[in-house]
Amino acid sequence: MQKDSEVRRGEWEARLADIKYMIHLFRKNPLVMTGTIISLFFIIVALLANFIVDPRLATTEGYTGGSYPFERKYMWSANHPIVWGPDIALHDGPEFFYLGTDGWGRDLLSMIILALPVDLYNAFIIVVVAALLGTTLGALAGYAGGIFDEAVLRITDVFFAFPGLVLALVFASMFGRSIETLQFAIILVWWPPYVRLMRGQVLSEKEKPYVEALKALGAGHLRVLFRHVMLNAIYPILVQATMDLGGVILTFSALMFLGFSPSKSLPELGNLAADGYNAIFSAPWVILFSGLTMLIISLAFNLVGDGLRDVLDPRLRR
Amino acid sequence: MKLYEYIIRRLILLVFVLLAVSVLIFYLTRGFERGFAPWAPYINEKMTAEQIEEVIKAHGFDRPLHEQYFYWFRDVFNGEWGLTGTWGLGLPANRVFFNRFPRTVELAVFATILTISIGIPLGIISAVKNNKLPDHISRIIALAGYSTPSYWFGFLLQLVFFYYFSLWGLPNLPSSGAPSIATRITGLPILDGLLTGNLGFVWNEFVHLILPSISLSFISLGFLARIVRASMLEVLRQDYITMARSKGLRERVVIYRHALKNALIPAVTLTGIFFASLLGGAMITEYVFSWPGVGQAALLAVGQGDSNFILLYSLVFATIIVLANLAVDVAYAFLDPRIKY
Repeated sequence: MQKDSEVRRGEWEARLADIKYMIHLFRKNPLVMTGTIISLFFIIVALLANFIVDPRLATTEGYTGGSYPFERKYMWSANHPIVWGPDIALHDGPEFFYLGTDGWGRDLLSMIILALPVDLYNAFIIVVVAALLGTTLGALAGYAGGIFDEAVLRITDVFFAFPGLVLALVFASMFGRSIETLQFAIILVWWPPYVRLMRGQVLSEKEKPYVEALKALGAGHLRVLFRHVMLNAIYPILVQATMDLGGVILTFSALMFLGFSPSKSLPELGNLAADGYNAIFSAPWVILFSGLTMLIISLAFNLVGDGLRDVLDPRLRR
Repeated sequence: MKLYEYIIRRLILLVFVLLAVSVLIFYLTRGFERGFAPWAPYINEKMTAEQIEEVIKAHGFDRPLHEQYFYWFRDVFNGEWGLTGTWGLGLPANRVFFNRFPRTVELAVFATILTISIGIPLGIISAVKNNKLPDHISRIIALAGYSTPSYWFGFLLQLVFFYYFSLWGLPNLPSSGAPSIATRITGLPILDGLLTGNLGFVWNEFVHLILPSISLSFISLGFLARIVRASMLEVLRQDYITMARSKGLRERVVIYRHALKNALIPAVTLTGIFFASLLGGAMITEYVFSWPGVGQAALLAVGQGDSNFILLYSLVFATIIVLANLAVDVAYAFLDPRIKY
């Protein structure tokens, strides 16, 4: 008879082989690899943003109109005297500035780099919280069934019938302008799809023989649900969450663009775009590059998510 | 469950959804003091302090929130949606809404037509040339579509087709706004223009619609193309397609006559939902192009904390979405006889 540990090892080897095969498939797809590399690049730049660019650019501290007041300068222009003030606002001369300056006279490339951590961090927080909330509720609803299931479904009905952006806007404008409000507003709109997704997964998963076997072995409901059923149903959630990262960045910056930003000088892509929108024809580069950055980040996450779906769903592997 | 039982069940649910939406929005917009006071649209400078007091009393603005809700509910039941203060004067919210609604409908129709006519062929090509170059290109277009910030794409269109075209002396498209309405018969400006024979107006309106429609459809045609591709791939694996091929039918006939019909069922749902959501007004696109529809109005109203207008807007929109979902479900049952409710 096989020992318990041997069975477990065999299980692990099978799982490992599966993961290796997935990685192989993943690497075979050029689009997905491009997406992965681009998203990793942006994540690394975001993590290092405060070392690449002087973070004090983001504050109004330096907005004096005089010469650049800080000792640490932009990494790529260390030898140039940098002037930062209204007299060089919306300036596109190639002397010091690679992408021109924004409406405050700050180097746009630096501002975009400073905006990356803000956007990525917020998108990450929002997606993680929304996904955790949605999947937990969905799993409980699907597993428990009955009145609880019905109640959760009806609540999601209300949110699905809702103009998502309107709710977020109303929420954000009523609770005052702060990053936390925006996070909460977007989470409020973003969790219901996860409920539906996880609930559907759990409903089909809980009829499988292994659940019965686990129960026969004496496993409790919570253990069955959280240790086994949810783990087996997690793949579509991962795909959804990856793709949502892109969508949330767009929504977050759209709210900022529409004027729900806590401060106009905050380095955030939507904020920069709004800044550029005021000078749309005289200084098109501001909105052009801030929007392009959003497009590239969001596209990269979507490519990864799209590839993950093909890889994780055995029916689409072919 | 019979189909009509299902429909009735869903309609009853709609009532609860609307109640929940109205309570949520009511508390959010009246519970916080943002923008103008809820009674501001009802008063004017000529009123004395007592008259103002009277107005506030009559509409229950001095009561606690839950009582105010019932006042609002009672008025709505009598067909009065209250006054809105966003546009300066105290205009009835429903008049503002339904004056602007036709413009939103126009934009939704144009954008949907554009989405279907590009998205479906793109999806078919993707599926037929699966994992070859055309599939990769269509995948990139699709993904780029829903990764693009809508306002940014709108801006690009304005910059190129309005600003640069006029700089280069080319015939350029208007960047924003809409022509003012000459005559009103049905309410839909283009239809009215055609009815009165005012072709200049029709052309003007059409030209103003082009850029916002492109902007809207670019974002959603990707979804449609991906859905069509997925369902087409699913259908092409079915036995009856193998059967059709082994009968010796040409590939073109197999795809367009046999596969496409079944593969388009999910596309019908998606298009229905898409159209419904556009009827709610594409807020950002309408804002960027200054298109005078309900989406732009709602955005203005939210900024002012205009609770009467936001309530009306959310309720109409929620109704449209729920009914569209229902219509799509019913259409599904007709298109695919295997589906039972």
